[in-house]
Amino acid sequence: MMRALSTAETAPTTHPWVIHAQGLQVRAGRHLAVNGLDLTLNTGVHGLLGPNGAGKTTLMRALATVVAPSGGRLTLLGQSVDGRADLRPVRRALGYLPQHFGFYPRFTVREFVAYMAWLKEMPKARIPAAVQRSIDRVGLTAKADARLKTLSGGMLRRAGIAQAIVNDPQVLLLDEPTVGLDPEQRLDFRELLRDLGTDSCVLVSTHLVEDVAAACTDVVLVNEGRLVWQGTTEVLIAQGDQSHAGDSAAERGYSAILRRHRAEAAR
Amino acid sequence: MTWTLLYLRSRRVPLALAAALGGAAVVWALYLAFAEERDVAPTVVVMTVLLMVAVLAPTLAGPDDDLDRTASMRWPWRRSAHLLAALLVVVVVLLVTRSTGARFGPVALVARDAAGLLGLTALCATVVGAARSWFLPLGWTTVAAMYPLTGTWGAAATWQSQPPDNDAATLVAAVLALGGLVAYSIAGPARREVSEDV
Amino acid sequence: MNILGIELRRSAALGAALTTVVVGVGAIYVETGRWSSGWMPLAMTIREYLLLLWPLALAAGAWQGRREHRAKVGELFATTPRPRAQRMLPVLGAMAITLPVAYLLVTGAGIIWIINTAQHLPLLNFTVVTGVGALSLIAAAWLGLGIGRMLPALVTAPALAVAGVLLVFLSAIRLDDRLAAALNPVHGSSLFHPYQTIDNRVSGALAISTAALAVTGLLLFVAGSWRARTAAVVPLVLGFTAAIAVVPRDPDVLNWPVDPVARELVCTDDTPTVCVSRIHANVLEALTPLAREGLTVLAKLPNAPTAVHEDTQTFWLDEVRPRRSDAVTIPVWIDERGKLAHPNAVLPEIVKRLGVSYDMQCQNRDGVVERAAAYWLLGREPQSDVGVVPGFVFEDPEINAEAVMLWQGLRELPDDEALARVTAVRDALLVCADISGILPGRSAR
Repeated sequence: MMRALSTAETAPTTHPWVIHAQGLQVRAGRHLAVNGLDLTLNTGVHGLLGPNGAGKTTLMRALATVVAPSGGRLTLLGQSVDGRADLRPVRRALGYLPQHFGFYPRFTVREFVAYMAWLKEMPKARIPAAVQRSIDRVGLTAKADARLKTLSGGMLRRAGIAQAIVNDPQVLLLDEPTVGLDPEQRLDFRELLRDLGTDSCVLVSTHLVEDVAAACTDVVLVNEGRLVWQGTTEVLIAQGDQSHAGDSAAERGYSAILRRHRAEAAR
Repeated sequence: MTWTLLYLRSRRVPLALAAALGGAAVVWALYLAFAEERDVAPTVVVMTVLLMVAVLAPTLAGPDDDLDRTASMRWPWRRSAHLLAALLVVVVVLLVTRSTGARFGPVALVARDAAGLLGLTALCATVVGAARSWFLPLGWTTVAAMYPLTGTWGAAATWQSQPPDNDAATLVAAVLALGGLVAYSIAGPARREVSEDV
Repeated sequence: MNILGIELRRSAALGAALTTVVVGVGAIYVETGRWSSGWMPLAMTIREYLLLLWPLALAAGAWQGRREHRAKVGELFATTPRPRAQRMLPVLGAMAITLPVAYLLVTGAGIIWIINTAQHLPLLNFTVVTGVGALSLIAAAWLGLGIGRMLPALVTAPALAVAGVLLVFLSAIRLDDRLAAALNPVHGSSLFHPYQTIDNRVSGALAISTAALAVTGLLLFVAGSWRARTAAVVPLVLGFTAAIAVVPRDPDVLNWPVDPVARELVCTDDTPTVCVSRIHANVLEALTPLAREGLTVLAKLPNAPTAVHEDTQTFWLDEVRPRRSDAVTIPVWIDERGKLAHPNAVLPEIVKRLGVSYDMQCQNRDGVVERAAAYWLLGREPQSDVGVVPGFVFEDPEINAEAVMLWQGLRELPDDEALARVTAVRDALLVCADISGILPGRSAR
């Protein structure tokens, strides 16, 4: 007797990569913002760097399953993500902070995070404790019962992080999470990132090379929709010297790689 | 001209205008198709004026009021021009129907209600913001249109649905129109707009 | 943490319900006299105010339906596993809880006013009429949610509110009775006579079309594509068709039907008998002494009537009842507190036609002669009906002047002679003969 096997049954129980993209193509409008990108990521904190228009946000949106890839292959947690697949199991293990974080202003922080937990289909009994924990982790405990519309920009960003991590995601995608945070909060946030990276795959898209250098275990550099460079933070720092633009070693490394890549592309 | 166009687009005027004209057109067409008499019933005239005013109400504020305020141009004149243009739209559109098979009128009624309701809406916009400015005019007018009262005070309380020659109703409408024009022109819409009201 | 609880607190459902309570309670208490007479008048008056409440719920739904668009949460929510339909359920639930509760609160506020006076409670009809009213608010709110999500512009809510008013108002007065009865929640709720009710079969048809509207709103609200939105029209068409098919055809059932139980007479145990309709049973005690006083006045006439009955004939019903000579029929008015209104009018009402009930078919009446005769019986100078008969606002002064003249003519006669003349007037009235020449000083026509 024959029967169709469900995706869950055919998927390997242990997947070699949490995020695996091969020749990935994603459209942003009519334009291919991600064009033939190959990327493999596992547990840890990964910084996604690249100039404006490099396709960072589009890549994040594809990884977050907002937009379906228009070409290539993308697997998350061992499961293929394309237009037809049942995305629910993957989405349960996903946390996402979009670049423009939309929220319900009349909800309190606690309510909104609980609402997101419910949308992520967490077991009902676990929600209250998980909400409290995630709010504590982003340092919003004192503001937990304040309405979102009363929060400042930095607090809103942290509320956004809280909703992203409430379900202890295996894949956590943060698009410019440090915007609006003051220096002290950024230090706390780096601490949180290191903590989160111990058992999930965290991808942080940012323009702040400093944050990447301080909190990320490795760096992904994209330009014009392709992967330019991937390696550890130490190696990134080692790429640059005083001849490159930048105020810190990491910034100089970033500039060095990008300049080299542009030079190669121009040839 | 470009500046005006940009201003109108920032206030989402094209959509509001389309909705106002479309709404009036639907009522007009229904009347033309189904009613025997040529003159549209006063209740329906009042409700149509209300529809147009309520739909134009959200244009009283832009997407970001704080940004608007930082502009160096003189807002009061532009705000009053905006209100007067809205009044003109309502009155002219309904005047045009006078020459068709379903006549919205009398003119005095349309003008009184359009002016009074726009003033009231503008007044509300300065207090609760443009997005919510239609709540009170709509509620009040609906009650007044469905259950008009008589007597001087009754007429004042339900001025929208009084005959056009009623002095108390005209007075209330004039006060609201002038008050709204002055208050909105000087103060502008209330400052708590942006995606706050969910 | 309960998501429904969050939506109850944070969505427009609570505000919409509060506004509904304020508008509804305000509307019914502006004129309590419209419904103070009983339970069905209350239920139907609140239903009539759906003219205001229905568009309100529609607009509130549209306002709320815009939320995801307005808050720009589409991107974030697109990454969550919970299906869209499930995501929408708490809001639908919140609306479906708060608005009916608001409707019932308005009803409750009315009940407080009548609880001590109203006696006739047709529980089934009252429940059905109220239930359908509450249901129609759910349908309006859900439809608003669906349209607000489909067209998430700021102008949607105000436009829908006005459209809703026009729709309910115009469909109530313009549509064919059967269509209006099957589709419009306001139909049949305006009170034309005190014994009015709404037939349960009509309510059933309305419930079908209202439920269909609610389902369409729900489907529109959870729909993710234009194809699904188009499909949402199907239940609407099916429900409306079914409702029109099952709604009764008899105009007497559709429009202002009489509740026969409410109209049944209930009488005093002792004589002289005084009877009122069951719906007015609470005023019997107040009416009895006044009515008996009237009977005493009439008793001067030979073969005078021995009972007073409420006139339960209504202008809207065409039936003609046989004229009775043993009982006087009078109208009964109820004041805004549900008590007997215009007690001073009871005596003149009994005496003014000399105890002969008014028959619409008899053209041989003469108000001047009747008034002169009646006031002779009362022993008072005739006075204008203005101020005596409730609702009478103008009368030609000539009429009373003539009546006073005739009355003085009667007074100048010896009592026996005068009584004989008045009795002759009464007897002529009973057989619908010409009465104008009977009193001295007035020539026959």
